[in-house]
Amino acid sequence: MKRPSLPVALLFGYMALFLLFIMLPIAVVVVVSFSSSSYIVFPMPGLSWRWYRHIVEYRPFMTSLATSIELALASATLGALLSVPAALALARSRHKLAGLLANLLLAPISVPAIVLGFALLYFLSALSLGLSFTSLLIAHTVAAIPYVVRTVLATYRAVPSDLEESASILGASRGQILLHVTLPLVRPGVFAGAMFAVLTSLDNLPLSYFFGSATTNTLPVVMLSYMENQFDPSIAAISTVQMLIALATLLLLDRVYGIERLTAV
Amino acid sequence: MRRVRPYRLARPSWCVPVIAYLLVFFVIPLIANLLRSRPVDAAIGGGPFFYYVKLLTDPYYAGVLLETTKVALITTFVCLLVGYPVAYFMVRFAGRWNALIVFCVVAPLLTSIIMRTFGWRVLLARRGVLNAWLLDWGLITRPFELADQPIAVYIGLVHVLVPFMVLSINAVLQGIDVQLEDSARVLGAGRLRTFWHVTLPLSVDGIATGCILVFVLTNGSFLTMLLLGGGRITTLSLLIYQQFSTTQDVGFAAAMGNVLMLVALLGFLLQFRLLRRRGVKP
Repeated sequence: MKRPSLPVALLFGYMALFLLFIMLPIAVVVVVSFSSSSYIVFPMPGLSWRWYRHIVEYRPFMTSLATSIELALASATLGALLSVPAALALARSRHKLAGLLANLLLAPISVPAIVLGFALLYFLSALSLGLSFTSLLIAHTVAAIPYVVRTVLATYRAVPSDLEESASILGASRGQILLHVTLPLVRPGVFAGAMFAVLTSLDNLPLSYFFGSATTNTLPVVMLSYMENQFDPSIAAISTVQMLIALATLLLLDRVYGIERLTAV
Repeated sequence: MRRVRPYRLARPSWCVPVIAYLLVFFVIPLIANLLRSRPVDAAIGGGPFFYYVKLLTDPYYAGVLLETTKVALITTFVCLLVGYPVAYFMVRFAGRWNALIVFCVVAPLLTSIIMRTFGWRVLLARRGVLNAWLLDWGLITRPFELADQPIAVYIGLVHVLVPFMVLSINAVLQGIDVQLEDSARVLGAGRLRTFWHVTLPLSVDGIATGCILVFVLTNGSFLTMLLLGGGRITTLSLLIYQQFSTTQDVGFAAAMGNVLMLVALLGFLLQFRLLRRRGVKP
């Protein structure tokens, strides 16, 4: 085998360092979550499950985790129901407005979440929705729409129109075509977009922060206020749990959509 | 042959629900935020732009604006330096390892920002992992403070945002014909020269997209500054967060939000122009 030249060897070394840089902080948190100590020290005195027991017993973590998951699934679903029909219409449209509308649907991604959350809080308070799950759902749905629109547009544009046309010529009604041809063809896109929306929603602290109340709070908000008071390994434990949930979602995404296609931003 | 219009299943009216939803819950609230940034109490004086004038002229707030820009510029630049070689490696050398590297780049996006920030606190703290290792190896004689320092904020920001840079550049590099590089090599250019005169200029679009993205995302983030800065770095979004949780000066917070919005909007427009130049539909 040819010996790699010096720049290439340097590049390989650099990659190793980069992957270490990316993975180290995450790995450290997972390790700390098994610490038996009451505070964070290295080397750790021993291993234990006590912080996992602690987060299960600490009510705010569990209720807010349930709220976060519920919110993520509900907003992704609502976002998909709103976005999919529009994306189907925009993908094949040659109207002047189509490009503009597509941009409107993608715009919420570009607005800083803290600004959107702040603006929505006062707007929804004026509608007397204020601090409630409904407000959270409305806000997170706005953030979910661009993800679904983007993946469905891309998926549907790659589908030739012949398939639907053939179905139409063979006498299928629009409803039948939608149900048996179009939706099955774009399903990976819908699913991938909804998964992105779920993952973003789970970690969207700036958007949720303003709507938190004693009864309804999302996990990141509770974690932040916990961290402001104490610095113990329970944050590491709940983070690890959250990561495992996201990881399971990603593996599902990979099976449906293919992880390498994620790099095509 | 006459170009036949492709079959269209969806009617334009299918767009109505989502557009109505975004008008009500996205466009109108942001417009209302513009109006909210006017002082309610006319007695303050200074007219409708009172808060914006305060933001630009008050030494403290002008300093915050300056610091916000500085943090965003430095973070963007470091992300580019760190991320470009990674994107290049993925396209040219990774081969069958590509899936693994994609996983490593995307995986951090699955962990909460709080988790990653917490990890850096554990690593950088006085009694943290890094100090413990350095002491063990005898590289330092007493632990030094890395957390609650500006450097910690930069490390945290680069760690959170570099995946976006890598993915943006990677997408463009994938589209560059390897034969162009091979031709340069055949014609006698060295590896570095080929990179400098062929690959780099061709990937300018990806660099621009990634830089705009990271710049805008840095402006919007406050958790890293809050949890790793120890109060030493105050940026606009951190100030909005603090204004809301402490003083509740709504008009001023709205004005600061609008400034952030403006920056994001400019970034969005730039990006849109770039995409159109590349001939990609949004």
